[in-house]
Amino acid sequence: MIFQIDFQAGKPVYLQLADQIRLAAASGRLQPGEALPALRPLSEELRVNRNTIAKAYSELEAQGIVENIQGKGCFVKAGRSPFSAPVRKGMLAGEIDAAIVMAHHLQVDREPFLELVRERLDHFAGQLNSAQNGH
Amino acid sequence: MDAPTPVIEINNLVRRYGRVDAVNGLNLTVRPGRCYGFFGRNGAGKTTTIKCLLNLLQPDSGTVRVFGLDPRRDEVAVKSRLSYVPDAVAFYPWMTIAESLEFLASFRPRWNRDMEADLLRRFQLDPTQKAGQLSKGQKTQVALIGAVCPEPELLVLDEPTSGLDPIVRREFIETVIGAYHATDPEHRTVLVSTHLISEFEGLIDEFTIVERGRVLLTSAADTARERFQKIRATFPTAPGDLELAGALSVRQSGCDVEVLVDGNGASMMDRLRARRPVDLRSQALTLEEIFVAAGTLGRAAA
Repeated sequence: MIFQIDFQAGKPVYLQLADQIRLAAASGRLQPGEALPALRPLSEELRVNRNTIAKAYSELEAQGIVENIQGKGCFVKAGRSPFSAPVRKGMLAGEIDAAIVMAHHLQVDREPFLELVRERLDHFAGQLNSAQNGH
Repeated sequence: MDAPTPVIEINNLVRRYGRVDAVNGLNLTVRPGRCYGFFGRNGAGKTTTIKCLLNLLQPDSGTVRVFGLDPRRDEVAVKSRLSYVPDAVAFYPWMTIAESLEFLASFRPRWNRDMEADLLRRFQLDPTQKAGQLSKGQKTQVALIGAVCPEPELLVLDEPTSGLDPIVRREFIETVIGAYHATDPEHRTVLVSTHLISEFEGLIDEFTIVERGRVLLTSAADTARERFQKIRATFPTAPGDLELAGALSVRQSGCDVEVLVDGNGASMMDRLRARRPVDLRSQALTLEEIFVAAGTLGRAAA
């Protein structure tokens, strides 16, 4: 996969990487069991420090999205989140709050916001479907 | 949890040349595993500081510790665990590249032959070529190979890319640091001194900006990029005096306003938003822009 790093995004580089991997895993571009790129070639390709990539991978590991197998690398995890339902809800609520704050500042009201959420969910379902049919 | 011993710890370093204070009360802490940027203009005191780490110069006052050791007392112990690449490198002109590297290896307890072969190949260097026939860029490449192959715990690079053509230097720094980090990255620390900051944007975890022998700013790179923001607003009509106290700088041209902020980006955005702009966006400064902005801060405080 191709990563886009923007040093001027105002968001830590390791989070940009983690977000893009999360997105790829959610949309089926990265399949369960698939390996994440090794640290050294990716750090040379993106011209970022190896520590930055290691930090992104350990963040994803802590969230149960990937699994680090000693000496082999990081792999996208199959199956279910290791977190309990309330924990999962709490993690998601934080992210949704951030979007709600953004919507407030952009003056996007409740109904258009909910409509957009539905639209994005459909978009992802579509992507996931075509990724699975492609494999 | 005990914090690991810093690889470099400098407290209140002072070093004068005659009456000139080259370094004047400088503090610097580099933790293991970091890729640390030491930024400053020419003459800011970077090289003097580095020479004190290597006992090539002795401090007038203050303390310098490398791996927890005093380089004046334990010079050999310190030097055997680090590699240093100065801004101008020299080899014996009659030796080939292979002989030059062999010569460097003879001083070292270990030497990674695979790494040497890999880097020679990636830089397209011919090991049988005489060092005297190499370009400045090639000499720097050989010096960097010689610096990373002993797998030292600390790699000190003083202006490693100055005087090289931009296409060469873009590539080889990350190649070298990539190779250096390939084994045991937790025990591989880099201190790179430079004024060509944009080339190191992604490599630097943490940095210190020095000016006139003093520290202007020490920060993690990500934190600094969150702190220093450039906000651009466009108003339907020229907004007049916006009275944006607390901004680092404000540039106004007709309907467009550009504000640099240090840490108060959110409140500045709110104040601008209250004036009903038609467009409002913020962007993190690059490390190079932060370097320039920190210079402005330093001169304002002086």
